[in-house]
Amino acid sequence: MNTLEVAQRAVGHAGPGALALVTHERSLMLRFAASRPTQSTGIDDVTVELAVPLRGNVGRAATNAVDDKSLADCAARARLVAEAAEVTHDGSFPGFAPDLDVAALDSFDPATAELAPTRGGAALADAFVEADAHGVEAHGIWTVAQQDQAWATAEAGGEERRTDAFMKVICIAPNGRSGYASQAAVAAGQLSAGALAERAALKAAASGEPVELPAGSYPVVFEPQAVGWLLDLLGGTAFNGLAHAEGRGALDGRLGKPVAAAAINLSDAPTSARTLPRSFDAEGTRKMPVPLIQDGIASAVAHDVRSAALMGELSTGHALSPGGDPGGPHPTNLVLAGGAVADEGELCAGIERGIYVTRLWYANVVRPKETLITAVTRDGTFLIEDGRVTRPLRDLRLTDSVLGILSRAQALTRDQKLTCEGEFYGRRSAYGVVCPAMRADAVRFTGAAG
Amino acid sequence: MRDLLSDLIDSAGARAGYADARFVRSRVERLSTRNGRLDQLDSGESEGIGVRVRMGGAWGFAAVRGTDRRDAELALERALAIAEAQPAVPEETPLAPEPPAHGEWASPVERDPFEVPLEEKLAVLLAADAGLRTEPGVNLTLARFSAFRTEKIFVSTEGALCEQRITECGGGISAVAVEGNDSQIRSFPASHGGHVAQAGYEHFLELELPGHAPLVSSEAVALLRAPACPPGRTTLILAGEQLGLQVHESVGHAVELDRVLGREASYAGTSFVPADGIGSLRFGSEQMSVTADATNPGGLGSFRWDDEGVEGRPVPIVRDGVLAGFLSSRETAAEIGLDRSGGCTRAEGFDRQPIVRMTNVNLEPGDAGSLDDLLADTGDGLLIETNRSWSIDNRRLHFQFEGEAAWEIRGGERGRMLRNPSYAGVTPDFWGSCDAVCSPSEWRLISLLDCGKGEPGQVMRVSHGTAPARFRNVDVGMA
Repeated sequence: MNTLEVAQRAVGHAGPGALALVTHERSLMLRFAASRPTQSTGIDDVTVELAVPLRGNVGRAATNAVDDKSLADCAARARLVAEAAEVTHDGSFPGFAPDLDVAALDSFDPATAELAPTRGGAALADAFVEADAHGVEAHGIWTVAQQDQAWATAEAGGEERRTDAFMKVICIAPNGRSGYASQAAVAAGQLSAGALAERAALKAAASGEPVELPAGSYPVVFEPQAVGWLLDLLGGTAFNGLAHAEGRGALDGRLGKPVAAAAINLSDAPTSARTLPRSFDAEGTRKMPVPLIQDGIASAVAHDVRSAALMGELSTGHALSPGGDPGGPHPTNLVLAGGAVADEGELCAGIERGIYVTRLWYANVVRPKETLITAVTRDGTFLIEDGRVTRPLRDLRLTDSVLGILSRAQALTRDQKLTCEGEFYGRRSAYGVVCPAMRADAVRFTGAAG
Repeated sequence: MRDLLSDLIDSAGARAGYADARFVRSRVERLSTRNGRLDQLDSGESEGIGVRVRMGGAWGFAAVRGTDRRDAELALERALAIAEAQPAVPEETPLAPEPPAHGEWASPVERDPFEVPLEEKLAVLLAADAGLRTEPGVNLTLARFSAFRTEKIFVSTEGALCEQRITECGGGISAVAVEGNDSQIRSFPASHGGHVAQAGYEHFLELELPGHAPLVSSEAVALLRAPACPPGRTTLILAGEQLGLQVHESVGHAVELDRVLGREASYAGTSFVPADGIGSLRFGSEQMSVTADATNPGGLGSFRWDDEGVEGRPVPIVRDGVLAGFLSSRETAAEIGLDRSGGCTRAEGFDRQPIVRMTNVNLEPGDAGSLDDLLADTGDGLLIETNRSWSIDNRRLHFQFEGEAAWEIRGGERGRMLRNPSYAGVTPDFWGSCDAVCSPSEWRLISLLDCGKGEPGQVMRVSHGTAPARFRNVDVGMA
C-alpha cells in the first residue's frame, strides 16, 4: 500500500485546510509462557485519520478502508462534526502548517519487514533452551512490525517507512522468583533471544531467601528499564505542553529553575539513531529535538499545534493525533545523558544498605502537578549491602515524586540503553526511552508488593 | 459475510484441529468540551476479519482489514503459518466442550446514539461545561460523550454461527482546580471517562450532567482548602466507582484463569489465587459474595455469546468469602478440568485474538440497608467514592488506591471533605475485613472504560455491580 497516495486521496475528499494521516501496520507477535508458545497475532491493518479545521474547531474521523467511497464518507463525517462545532463559537486551533521538506529517517530494515514467523519461532526456541539450562521457565514476547506512515494536506505531504523489533523474557524459577530482560531495536537481527533469557534467568535463579524491607526511604540503584518508566511518566505530567498551557503541568512556573540534580540532562531527540527515530509527528510537523532539562534546570515542554497556539509558540512536533490528542502532546524519543560510572555494580558501591530495582510496574500518577507516582518493583529486586548486591528482596511499592527522585540522583552510568515496554495498544506505535542506570538517594517506599 | 466466514472455516477445518473466524465492525463517536469550547470531535469506523487456528496445541491468529475474500484467505494462510512456525507444544489440552452457538442478538437501545444530531449532544455537553465554570478558581472543565457500536459474526469449525450487535453510550464531567503546587479534580458520575452503559442515548441523558456540574466544580475548588487525609488506620466505606474498581483490580483480575495458570506472566502478571483453590481458598469475609454475570442488563460485560461462542451466564466467583469459580476460556477451563468454559473470552476488535476478560464481576448486595444506614452504623471512619489513581502488584495482592476526595464519618454522619485520600491493603486481608455490604436497593453498575490486558494490548470496557461496603482497620493516608 502506498500510504502517501492514500493520504493525498483522503485529503482531496476533505477539502482545503484538512490533514490526513495514514498509518499502515503489518506486525507479528509471538507470546510464550512456561517455555511454550501461547498466543500469536499477525496484523495487517491501516488507519486513515482525517482532521478538518473549521473556525478554530477540528472535526476528526477515521476509517480503515482506503477505497474512494470510504474515504469520501470519512471526510464527510469529519466535516460534519466540524460544522456541528461551528454552530457554537470559534475555537482556538490555528490550522495545520506542516513542514514541507522533512527528510525521512533511516529506521527501516527490510529483513525485519518480512515478519517471518520462522524467525520468531527460532527466537522462542533459543529462549526456551537457555531457560531450561538454568532450571527456570521463560515467559515473554517476540515481536516485529513494519509501519508505513504518511501525512498529506492539499499543499504537501510526507511519508516514512519504519520497522521495529522487541523481545522480552521473564524467567520464573520454581520458587517463584523472577527476572527480566528486554531489548528493542529497529532491526530484528539485533535481538538476542538467548542472551536475554540468560540475563533474566540469572536474576530469577539468584540464591538466597528473599528479604523483606519495611516501608521507608532507601538509596536505590535503578536499571535503565526502571529509569525509562520514570522518565516516560514525566512526559505526561511535566513535559505535556497542553497541561503546561492550562496551568496543570508540573513545570508551570518552574521553567528556568532547578528541578533535578545538576547531572540530569534530558532531551527529546527524535532523530537520534539510538532511539526509534521518527521524522514527523501526527500533524506532519517536523519532530524537533527539545532540551527538556539541562544541567538540572527545566528548560522546555513539548508541544503540538494546539498546545503551542495556547502558549503563543510553535509546535515542536509532538502531536499524537491530528488536531491534538485529548491528553496532550508527548515526547516519544526521550534521551537521558549518561554519567561517569562504569556500570550498575559501581553504582552500588558506597551504598551501605539499599535497593536494586530491575524494573517498575503498574505505575500510575497520583498527583500530576507534584509528579507524584506510585508503582511496584518487579522481576529482579535485590538488597544492596556494603556496596554490592547480596540477596533477593521482596518487591516493594514505590510512592515518590519523579522530579524528586531526579533531584536526588547521585550518579549515572556511562552506557545508555534503549528501553521499551513493548506495550502496543491500538494502532502500533513503538517508542522508547534511551537512558543509563541511575543511583538516587532517599527514594520513598510505602509498603510491600508481590 | 456469513458465507465468506463459513467458506473460510471449511477450508481451515481440513488443516487445523480447530479454527474460528470473526468479522467485526466497530463504530465509535467521542465528543468533548474543554473550558467551554469544543475539544474532541471524533468519529471512527473500522471493520475486518480475524482468523484463529489451533494446530497441535499452538495457536495462530491473523487479522486483515476489510471484507475482501482473497485477503481473508491470505489471513487464514498467515494464521496457519504462524501456528506451524512455533516450537512444538508438549501436549495438547482439548478445548472444553461447548454446543455450537446459533442465532442473533442485539443489546437493547431506545434511541440510537449515532442517529442523534451532533448539535443536540454538543448542547448537553456545553450546558454541563457552563455549569462547571460557575465556580471561580476552576482551571479546567471537561464534559464528555461517547458512543460505541460493535457488530460481529462468529463462525467455528464446530458449527457455531452467531451474530451480535452491541451499543454502548454515556459520558461524564470533570473540573480541575489548581493553586500553587496543588491540583485537585472532581468528576461525575465517575472519573476516567464517566459512566457508560450498554444502552442508547437515553442513558447519556439520564446522567443529567448539567444539573450536577455546579457541585462538581465547587468541590474541586473546596478540595484545595480541605485538610489532607491523615495517615493511620481506620474504618473505610467504599462506594460507587471506587468499590467497583476495588472489585475489578483485586477480585476480577485475580480470578482470570489465564493469569492463575501463568499464561499472562509476561505482561499483566499472575495471581495469588491457586488453580486448585475452589472451595478452599478464603478470599474474604462471609459478607463477600461475587458473581461474574454476562447477562446484567446495561452491563458493559454483557453479551449473548462470548468470542468463542460460549453463551453468557452467571458464574459464581466467591461465595460467603470462599473462592467458588474462575473467569475462564475453553482452553483454560479444560486445563483445570472444568466441565465448561465460564464464557469470559472477548477480543477488542477484529485484529485482536480472544483472551480471558471480565464479564460484569459483581459484589452481591448484603443486608446493611442504605448508605445512610451504613454510615449511621459506622460511627467514625472514612468514605471514598470516586477514584483518582490505582496500582496493584502483578499477583493482585498488594494494592494502593487514591480517591478524588474522601469524607470523614463522624458520629454516624458524613462530615467534612478531605483531600488526597489514599488507602492500601493486601487483597484477602482487605476483603476479610469487610463486615457489611448495603442492601439490594443500593446496588448499581459502575463502568470502567479502559481495562488493559493482552499482547498486543487490548482495551476492554466492563461494568461492576456493587452496593457500598465497609472495611475495618484499613491503612489510609500513605500517599
